[in-house]
Amino acid sequence: MIIRQRPPTSFLERFLPKSTIARIEWVAAIALSSLLILLPWLLKLDGRPHADWQQFLGRFHPLTVHLPIGFLLLVPLLEIVGAFRPALREAAALVLGLAFASCLLAVTLGVLLAYGGGDAGPGVTRHMAGGIALTIGALLCLLARPSWSIGSVSYIYPTLLTGMIPLLLWTTHQGGLLSHGSNYLTAYMPASLKRFTAFGIAKQSSGSFYAKQIDPILDSNCVECHGEEKTKGGLRMDSFDQLMKGGKDGPVIVAGDPDRSVLLQRVTLPPDHKHFMPAEGKPPLRPEEIALIKAWIQQGASPSATTLAGVSIHEDRPELPLRPVGDYSALMPEIRQMEQSQGAKLIPLSAKPEDGLVLYTVDASSSFDDARLAQFLKFAPYIVEAELGRTAVTNASFDTLKQFTHLRALHLEETHITGDELAKLAPLSQLTYLNLSGTQVTSKAVSSLSAMKNLRHVYLYNTPAQPATTTRQAEPVARKAQ
Amino acid sequence: MKQHPLCTDTEQMPDALNPAVPAEIKRDWLTLQTRRHFLGRSGKVLGWAAIASLLGGRLHGDAYGADTNGRPGAGAADQLKLPHFAPHAKRAIYLFMSGGPSQVDLLDYKPNLAALYDKDIPDSVRGAQQLTGMTAGQARFPIAPSHWGFKRYGETGTWVSDLLPNTGRIVDDIAIIKSTNTEAINHEPAIMLMNTGNMNAGKPCMGSWLAYGLGSMNDNLPTFMVLQSKLNTKENNQPVSSRLWSSGFLSSEYAGVGLRSVGDPVLFLTDPKGVDREVRRKMLDAVNEINRQTAEELGDPETNSRIAQYEMAYRMQISVPELTDLSNEPKSTWDLYGPEAKEPGAFAYNCLMARRMAERGVRFTQVYKRGWDMHDNLTGILPIICGETDRACYALITDLKQRGLLDDTLVIWAGEFGRTVYSQGGLSPENYGRDHHPRCFTTWMTGGGIRTGITYGETDEYSYNVVKDPVTVRDFNATILHCLGIDHNKLTYNFQGLDQKLTGPVPASVVKGLLA
Repeated sequence: MIIRQRPPTSFLERFLPKSTIARIEWVAAIALSSLLILLPWLLKLDGRPHADWQQFLGRFHPLTVHLPIGFLLLVPLLEIVGAFRPALREAAALVLGLAFASCLLAVTLGVLLAYGGGDAGPGVTRHMAGGIALTIGALLCLLARPSWSIGSVSYIYPTLLTGMIPLLLWTTHQGGLLSHGSNYLTAYMPASLKRFTAFGIAKQSSGSFYAKQIDPILDSNCVECHGEEKTKGGLRMDSFDQLMKGGKDGPVIVAGDPDRSVLLQRVTLPPDHKHFMPAEGKPPLRPEEIALIKAWIQQGASPSATTLAGVSIHEDRPELPLRPVGDYSALMPEIRQMEQSQGAKLIPLSAKPEDGLVLYTVDASSSFDDARLAQFLKFAPYIVEAELGRTAVTNASFDTLKQFTHLRALHLEETHITGDELAKLAPLSQLTYLNLSGTQVTSKAVSSLSAMKNLRHVYLYNTPAQPATTTRQAEPVARKAQ
Repeated sequence: MKQHPLCTDTEQMPDALNPAVPAEIKRDWLTLQTRRHFLGRSGKVLGWAAIASLLGGRLHGDAYGADTNGRPGAGAADQLKLPHFAPHAKRAIYLFMSGGPSQVDLLDYKPNLAALYDKDIPDSVRGAQQLTGMTAGQARFPIAPSHWGFKRYGETGTWVSDLLPNTGRIVDDIAIIKSTNTEAINHEPAIMLMNTGNMNAGKPCMGSWLAYGLGSMNDNLPTFMVLQSKLNTKENNQPVSSRLWSSGFLSSEYAGVGLRSVGDPVLFLTDPKGVDREVRRKMLDAVNEINRQTAEELGDPETNSRIAQYEMAYRMQISVPELTDLSNEPKSTWDLYGPEAKEPGAFAYNCLMARRMAERGVRFTQVYKRGWDMHDNLTGILPIICGETDRACYALITDLKQRGLLDDTLVIWAGEFGRTVYSQGGLSPENYGRDHHPRCFTTWMTGGGIRTGITYGETDEYSYNVVKDPVTVRDFNATILHCLGIDHNKLTYNFQGLDQKLTGPVPASVVKGLLA
């Protein structure tokens, strides 16, 4: 039960403690607050690791830090609900006390972690300031609460408590940035959302090898601790300039000399070595990542070189979803018979029927014409490749071929087609390879193929459509799909 | 059946040499792969009739050969269920650099060696490596740095010797393997190992396995063809023999068919004067009929192979002249391959032929170039042989690529071993020799299924030991089979009580890092 008393006349009289014990509390509180405020100057974060015991204790910071968060969120909740259930309001006093105690513990351990582990950087500073402010805030709440609970000063404590919440959110977010990196929350944000926020703006990526290969490795493995927010050992690896500047102990990269580059030494130590990087049990770099970094340093650690000798970056192209063909096993006798009569072969691409059949005409070649091709229409749903090179097929074959809807590769080299009706092949959505070498197709005819999305390789060697070749080397005329 | 002089009842009298074999057993014979196989199973002490009655129904074999029309055994591929999976490459061209090209002077760049000129290679590097009789007695093993400079080529900036400027132009299109290694140190066993997976003769070579497993795409040309490049007498030419394209225990119809490097590509292919094609046909029909009777009588499948080979030769009378007629090649071809390509038997000519065979559906073409064995006068000979091969290799790859053939043709460039970093015999700044070196040698591949623009594997600073990603001959061959859609563990043939395979009994693995 709260007994409301008549308020005293003056504000100070109402607020300031009256008893000696209460005065001692105030003095102690002011001393403690001053100490906390001065803490960043007393233990200056210089980016160098210090005593091991400090790190040992400090590493309990992430463990304890969630206690004050819970307590501090619980206090206003208890106070509000306490308006209806007074017993809860009494509990709030205890929880507030716990919040302060745990704040103090977390700050102490946090400072030890940063100082002992050599953390520095604006992010660390912000998080520390937030933690200290929260601790002092909790202390002030603790001091202001009695006068609020007896009803003498009704606004200071609620104001303080309300102010604590945004401060708490900000501080914890700063901590989160330190331990998870700045893009942790936004990395998997839907693209549509990203567009409306500033988060989608990625690093300006030039075409250089550093930007395309090295920076992403550092970004995902190192920058969490060696970035702008947290700068362990004074080393920042979030930009080329910072990386080359090095850390407290000097540069980490010696251009052209991987063996003397501390960066490479650290990541190639045995994983249980004290100086192994990435530290703190984070997964080691993969061998191919190390190889890339090594090659990059070896060849001068340039920020702008676009390629490195001996290093080829294999860019995986997504495999096309192949449309499996049906089972043709039942048709095999008929297929054999066709081969006898037409002199062309239908050979399974592999032992798996769903891989389809390949039509070979090389045995019949010059006698294999449009009419014979039409005979194979029955098997069209199972034919994935048609080798019609050097046969007698003409433009009329396109009307047949467009029904070979499972075709992935079509050879028409050195045939009499002219390409006028090449556009008829448009329904062949699976076609990736088209060989028109040695025919009379023109570039105009070929341009009609541009709508075929999956068509990756069109060969036009020795045709009017062949692009002019340099004298040095006849370039292949493979065209990538747009 | 011949009548016995003392016997009046020929129908009833058993004859150990010429028994009355029931027709059904004879049919079984026809399905058997070899007669030796038959004997091996049935035991030799029993008489034919006894065998027939004892084993009758169990003789149905796992074997099949050419059908009686003489068509190559397309049936084999059907029954073997091959390819096991959809292949990237349908055919392969194997440029075999017989003799052992010197990796240190060509593709395995070791700039640090210049400072070690005439210093002894450390014993710790050499380890317990067996030496050939040619250098085993040498007191010193002085390091011979490459006589030639190296330059970077292509987008990948790969280091290539000045001896191979044209290979330099295709480095982005090939996968260089620096860590190939073998167990053999002398030519014959090493070259057998590369080709058959075994140092001893008698095993089928890669081309035969492929012909057996994948069958033919073109009935008018052999599935497996071998092109020997003509000799250059300035070079040290080690012999290559038909053992290297032998089908071993597989039916002889899977053996490689060689085209000669001088004169007619195939001997006696043209009909003699006065014999026209019809006469030839009639003659063949008669010979085939006799052979068929023999096959029926003795059940030796090799007789069927012979029928098939006669038929193939008959078809080759038409197809080979067409294949070797280069008159329709455009000028761009000669610009690309160079004037040497017009000389039959030149390596460049063979590369052009290999492209023409690829176009005509030959499954496996192997081009042999001898002369890489340089025990002395390396600086005198290596430029000559590089001059013969460098442009042709470049031309072949470029040509296949521009014609859209590289997508499904696998090309392999390899020798049987490498050469030592130390000099055999006298070392001078101008000249040196190099002995055989099995522990590392450089090869390359490209085309269907191969990840191009890479260098795979690394050797130590002496180009002596492999330090990263070793590729054994088994792995090398397993990878080739993989590109052609074959699981090397599944392409087997039961012989001498073993499921024989190209990669041998020691576990082999496909080199994933080489695959696209």
